[in-house]
Amino acid sequence: MKVILVDDEKKFINMLAKRLKFRGFDPIVAVNGEEAIKIASETQFEVAVLDIKMPGISGLQLKRELAAGNPDLKFIFVTGHGAIDKDDDNFNPNDIYLSKPLDIEILISTMKKIVK
Amino acid sequence: MKENTTENIINSVNMDSLDAEGLKFFGQVTAAISHELKNIFAIISETTGFLNDLTQLARKGEKFDLSILENCNNSIAEEIERGFHTIRQMNKFAHSVDDPVKEIDVKAYLELVVKLTQFLSFAKKVNILPFEESIPVTTSPFLLQSLIYHVLCCLYKSTQEDEISVCFESRDDRHLHMIFSGPIQDVSDCFPSPDIKRILDILSIESIVESEPFKLEMSIPKAVNLRIKGI
Repeated sequence: MKVILVDDEKKFINMLAKRLKFRGFDPIVAVNGEEAIKIASETQFEVAVLDIKMPGISGLQLKRELAAGNPDLKFIFVTGHGAIDKDDDNFNPNDIYLSKPLDIEILISTMKKIVK
Repeated sequence: MKENTTENIINSVNMDSLDAEGLKFFGQVTAAISHELKNIFAIISETTGFLNDLTQLARKGEKFDLSILENCNNSIAEEIERGFHTIRQMNKFAHSVDDPVKEIDVKAYLELVVKLTQFLSFAKKVNILPFEESIPVTTSPFLLQSLIYHVLCCLYKSTQEDEISVCFESRDDRHLHMIFSGPIQDVSDCFPSPDIKRILDILSIESIVESEPFKLEMSIPKAVNLRIKGI
């Protein structure tokens, strides 16, 4: 499964990518929204795992950009914040939100579920 | 008719709203700190998870370069140090409410608030220009921190560039001038917000905003006779 992981915490995202690779996934990392848009314009992914709070384009804004280029792309948001800004125009209660630190098994089962 | 003294200004302010604003500021900062700590724990958690993955592979007879283990250990040690650094800042911030009014080194407080704002996703880099002289100012540390925090947030949101500078000038015995500058066009959306204005009034700080080049100057009285109701 091709997955794009976007988070400005480079060490976190690189380590998560290594662990997903061990488990048979094909992850690519981006450390900001701009980089993610560029990568996604060249590669088709099945799942995007996005940090919500990032410098520049937020995860919620990024979803709109990535979905425009790939309507089948599924999204999982990851956040270190206790509360999500539900007043944000890009907030959708139907999206999936996971809290940091992540449980990799929950992430994997969530990805499999939404792609199926 | 009452004199327009700091004490009278404070008494005329709706203290309930000031308390609420103080709590909101405290909440914003602690939320940002907890976000930082969660990121640190997330890295440690993924790294230990990765080490566990390697252990499972080793049990199956797979071989791997020992430098991978070394890198993981270094990464965990770095994150633990980052966590201690964050908690030291949190501790300093928490103690800023110990004394409602006290003599402080404004530059040290500015440095702390800049570090606290760096946890925000929209933060920009701030360059504090050297100022050798230590000028003690008697004020409310908590309110001054809150003011600087709000001003920095306003400046961060008003520019795309990482070029905010802060310098100090001491032109006379009565005021310390804190001057923010950078590639900023307009701050009228957020400066002075009602919250900022209220704190400026309480602390008897005068402010001037100039454009082209942008400059936001705050004249902080070196000694202000503050008596805040209820504390």
